[in-house]
Amino acid sequence: MGGLLVKNGFVYDPLNNINGEKMDIAVLDGKIVEKTRNAKVIDASGMVVMPGGVDIHSHIAGSKVNSGRLLRPEDHYKDVEARTAKTRSGVGYSIPSTFTTGYRYSRLGWTTVMEPAMPPLKAKHTHEELNDTPMIDKGAFPLLGSNWFVLEHLRAKEYEECAAYVAWMMRATKGYAIKIVNPGGLEAWGFGRNVRDIDDPVPNFDITPREIVQGLCKVNQLLNLPHTIHVHTNNLGKPGNYITTLETMKCVENLATEVNPAIHLTHCQFSAFAGNNWRTFRSASEEISEYVNSHSHVTLDIGQIIFTNTTTMTADGPFQFILYQITGNKWVNNDVETETSSGIVPFRYKRKSYVHAIQWTVGLELALKIKDPWKTFLTTDHPNAGPFMAYPKIIAWLMSQKARDAVISKISRKARHKASLPSIDREFTLHEIAVVTRAGQAKALGLKNKGHLGIGADADIAIYNLNPEKTNLAKEPAMIRQAFKNAAYTIKDGEIVVKNGEVVKSVNGKTYWADLKASQSLLEIEPELQKVFEEYYTVKYENYLVPNHYLSIGAPIQIQTKV
Amino acid sequence: MTLKLQLIKELRVPIDAGCICPDTFAGKSLNEIAELQIWEGNRKRLLNSLFELKEDSQETPDETNIHLTGNLSRVQRIGAGMKGGEITVQGDVGMHLGEKMLGGTIMVEGNAGSWTGSAMKGGTIIVKKNAGDYIGGAYRGSTKGMQGGTIIIHGDAGTEVGCYMRNGLIKIQGNVAQFVGIRMRNGTIVVQGSAAERAGAFMTGGKIIICNNVTSILPSFSIDSIKSKAKAEGEAIKGPFYLFIGDLADHGNGKLYVSKNKNEYLKSFEEFL
Amino acid sequence: MPVIDNVTCPVCGTLCDDLSVTVKENAIIDVKNACAVSEAKFMSFSNPKHRNLRPLIRKNGKLIESTFEEAVEKSAQILVDASYPILYGWSCTSCEAIRVGLELAEEVGGITDNTSTVCHGPSILSIQNLGIPTCTLGQIRHRADLIIYWASDPYSAHPRHMERYTAFSDGRFQESEWEHFVTRLRGILGRRRLNRASELVLMKEASLPVFSGQKLPPKFETRKRKVIVVDVRKTHSAEFADFFLQVEPNKDFELFQALRLLVRDGELEVNQVAGVPVDLLEEVADALVGCDFGALFFGVGLTMSSGKLQNIDAAIALTQDLNLRTKFVIMPMRGHFNVAGANVVYTWQTGYPFALDFSQNYPRYNPGETSVVDILSHDKADAGLIVASDPVSNFPRSAVENLVKNPLIVIDPVISPTTMVADVVFPSAFVGIEVDGTAYRMDRVPLPMKKLVDPPSLCHSDEEILRRILHQVKRIKQQRRKL
Ligand code: SF4
Ligand SMILES: [Zn+2]
Repeated sequence: MGGLLVKNGFVYDPLNNINGEKMDIAVLDGKIVEKTRNAKVIDASGMVVMPGGVDIHSHIAGSKVNSGRLLRPEDHYKDVEARTAKTRSGVGYSIPSTFTTGYRYSRLGWTTVMEPAMPPLKAKHTHEELNDTPMIDKGAFPLLGSNWFVLEHLRAKEYEECAAYVAWMMRATKGYAIKIVNPGGLEAWGFGRNVRDIDDPVPNFDITPREIVQGLCKVNQLLNLPHTIHVHTNNLGKPGNYITTLETMKCVENLATEVNPAIHLTHCQFSAFAGNNWRTFRSASEEISEYVNSHSHVTLDIGQIIFTNTTTMTADGPFQFILYQITGNKWVNNDVETETSSGIVPFRYKRKSYVHAIQWTVGLELALKIKDPWKTFLTTDHPNAGPFMAYPKIIAWLMSQKARDAVISKISRKARHKASLPSIDREFTLHEIAVVTRAGQAKALGLKNKGHLGIGADADIAIYNLNPEKTNLAKEPAMIRQAFKNAAYTIKDGEIVVKNGEVVKSVNGKTYWADLKASQSLLEIEPELQKVFEEYYTVKYENYLVPNHYLSIGAPIQIQTKV
Repeated sequence: MTLKLQLIKELRVPIDAGCICPDTFAGKSLNEIAELQIWEGNRKRLLNSLFELKEDSQETPDETNIHLTGNLSRVQRIGAGMKGGEITVQGDVGMHLGEKMLGGTIMVEGNAGSWTGSAMKGGTIIVKKNAGDYIGGAYRGSTKGMQGGTIIIHGDAGTEVGCYMRNGLIKIQGNVAQFVGIRMRNGTIVVQGSAAERAGAFMTGGKIIICNNVTSILPSFSIDSIKSKAKAEGEAIKGPFYLFIGDLADHGNGKLYVSKNKNEYLKSFEEFL
Repeated sequence: MPVIDNVTCPVCGTLCDDLSVTVKENAIIDVKNACAVSEAKFMSFSNPKHRNLRPLIRKNGKLIESTFEEAVEKSAQILVDASYPILYGWSCTSCEAIRVGLELAEEVGGITDNTSTVCHGPSILSIQNLGIPTCTLGQIRHRADLIIYWASDPYSAHPRHMERYTAFSDGRFQESEWEHFVTRLRGILGRRRLNRASELVLMKEASLPVFSGQKLPPKFETRKRKVIVVDVRKTHSAEFADFFLQVEPNKDFELFQALRLLVRDGELEVNQVAGVPVDLLEEVADALVGCDFGALFFGVGLTMSSGKLQNIDAAIALTQDLNLRTKFVIMPMRGHFNVAGANVVYTWQTGYPFALDFSQNYPRYNPGETSVVDILSHDKADAGLIVASDPVSNFPRSAVENLVKNPLIVIDPVISPTTMVADVVFPSAFVGIEVDGTAYRMDRVPLPMKKLVDPPSLCHSDEEILRRILHQVKRIKQQRRKL
């Protein structure tokens, strides 16, 4: 692979404290290097250079996503991608087909995306789809918050055994991080029930959500996993749920270490609702951001609402059932034995709906009120709050009060009067944007070679046609949107894959997984596991495992655990 | 402008001719129109490779009119999305005729295929012979069927006439197959002939009037009354009719009028009145 | 002798993954845990009477042996020349082969459809109308206290379904119904003859009286795990049921709508629906609402009888309604071992599960228009490629006639009526026996298929054959572009 020299761009590389300085970035053999000779030169003068975008939470592959695709031909047929000499065809809008997903991320300048909800029993499916998702590196988080083995170990306070089980699980499913969705609630949903709050015991299992979150947090630390536990709270999507959210953050307060946070709250917007019902519904961004500002053990992503017709899909079966009842739209539910559930409901977020408009403000308020951008990341919980294709819009909202005002003037009047967003004048700098869209996310994921442009980093680079010297960006939101919508260049592993928003080369990305090295005694859980396995599952132990060949480019991250 | 298009090739594979539409032709020269693109199976073709084009200089209406001749039963999407003007077809025509149409008139002297007038919002489609299935229906997975305008079929129509219909009028002068007015929410369907089973299945609103025999009434419908006439967009149709309400399995409030005289077997329902 | 354990069965959508196969000198000499259908396949697949061992090309009206390269070249020519080729089959091969097949269909601008188009296609359309509350089979094994087989005869079509996932399986919260069943047998047959009798019943040589009639059996609701079979005639599965509900042919739709009304506490203005007295229907509705976890399995009896997809719409709607009162799930009984996988792969690559039209360079979907049977019935296609399927035996006559008059390529491990009328025939290796891969169970749980023995030397995998054709298609297109 020949070298590349990205010349004269305004470089935003927060992890290396580079803030818009004009400089060159040299690339060789897929890595950032000090310098290259005879390299192909990309003239980036007058343009912004950032590390490739990183998405900590986006539903792009697997059983649930695919059920969403199957459910919605009417979502696809107006937004199609014809094949080109370089690319496969596909469909877009809220749940793009796999190839299209990869191409579209790449056009935005994103190069790493995490699929955050992998039912372990169907892990092969997730990986098969990831293999067909080109252009990006990826990883997947196995769902563990209602898993019977986990519940049983934690009920017995067997943290080390549970850690051994989770280590096995990461290997078995080629998983990257611990995902917890509505802890305990999904087991209850197996009989059509739910848990009411973080201290409501799980039926038949005699353990509370609090114990599950704390337990898995301890396990996460015992295992030295690169990412924290990744939590979708109980009571998500219900008015008044911010109390549960605060309780969830508090319950792991004393597990925080100096260096690493202890918990990641995902799509926090859906968990930051105040009020007693939908009439008295209001934003709890104040309460949440106050807590986050005064503690260092939490990161979160916002899950920003977009006013559009999208598809909601979560592992939170009971929540999706409520959405089905509210909307009367079509509804898929798919429970997975011994592990988890899932639900899908098409949904339209309307500007003129008070609740939706408040939800829209909640996401932005969280991002703007939480002072430290390293704690809060840009997502749409794709496609739950909107398709990832809306990132350029959100970037513009974060950077420009003018852009926000334009929307505020069109939302429900009641929401406009009640929301605190109109009074916030903070405008993100490009540096802060680089934190919330790549550097911060890479850091939270523990991906050492991602999210920065230091020597040795993966040469995943996004170049945007935006000149911060010439324009007052906050006044030109349309320019921001335009630039982030079509990357001037996307460079993946040192190769130019997108030019002026067009895919010029299709490449396959890696799949990261946590290859945990535990002590021998802990690895010996396998015979024990095999014994109960058949009682718990309808597949054989051997057939449950995801062999290496299921990953077209596997990238195990070797980790020495503490147990 | 009036354009005459004569099909000059015998067709084997389906033709996607969405460009045959007054709005697309308007403001273009004959040569430009001749070079519009259509799909013959997986091959891109120019319009004039399949059709002979002539401008009729005698007729010079303000709107664009298109006269088509030939066996067009494999030509699809004629008049899709059309906003105004007129299309007439001497002969049969393929699927998706006037799909998503907004205005204007389409008149077919022969038969029309399935999905005629699907998701249309305005305008008129008249078919002199029979039509296929899903007349005035919706795209797969969508709940937006016909939302306005008028479809008149002089002959028979297939299954699921007016699926997910939200507004407008469909008139079938002949008979209809199963599931007429399925999932309909509003609007009116008049069947002058008879209807097969399951009229109004899952309907939540709107009106279906069946002037002749109906094979059966779904158990999830309830008899409401006997009416001497039924109204369809201003026009009064002479009864008497049994009026059923349904589909109660979907909390529906649709009205199903069924001729009393042609369906004596429904007399047993009168005890519930 | 090497015994290979945890083998996944490449026959039906139950996709049992617990077979043990004994192999000796590249031949299978024993299979354990398999049902009769599966065993028959494992023991007879290699019979040379049933398979071609070399590629064939039709010349002067006769199929004659050819080289692999020649067959590939000929196939690629046929596909490149076609304006509307169909690529059909895909439910008896691996997901890996389907992936290549989709790329080939896109490359040649063809229509690709899988066998769901003639089995559970209507079920998929219904899901697109309403969604579906469903689950993996283990949920049912662990939790279901009410199991309904509707227009489905698992005993014949999915022999181990009840044993592995429903009535006769043991779960965390539900016990097997087996003991209760044996008690029933005992009551009927007397103890001594019991063993022989149960054997006969299971081998289908004898039959049991069926619980049917005007009322549910006494104390039905208090039983732990109950099975109801609904069908137009007494099936063998009905003998294993706690209750058999007979419905008039082609009246399932009416029955579902009536049940929906009753589940919503509505009242019927008729005395019977589909031949079932309303009093009994009310009891059944109470049983549906009264269970803790209900599961409804339905078969092609429902998708292919009068009403088609609307029958499934009604069934799904009933299940959704029931979720307002209790927990209820519904699942189609998928036939071929990887038909679910075909839908899954189609959907992730293109957004649509079957009936795909790539003729305009992007995927289009409209069953009824882009489904293969409809295309063939209207004689719109001009070439065909069939993979691991036998449409000549299964399609309506007019469709078959039109299929056969076009150039036809067939990739199949066995000789079938379709291979016999083809212009190019590729003998292939059996997926799950001679070649590995992935398949999806009826509940869309992915399972690995194993390679147990080597295929005959000229029988390549479907994936390999398709890859070679794809490669050749690209070359021919490139050459033509240069000219
Ligand atoms: S039930 Fe089906 S999958 Fe299981 S062994 Fe029999 S044929 Fe094979
Ligand atoms: Zn999510």
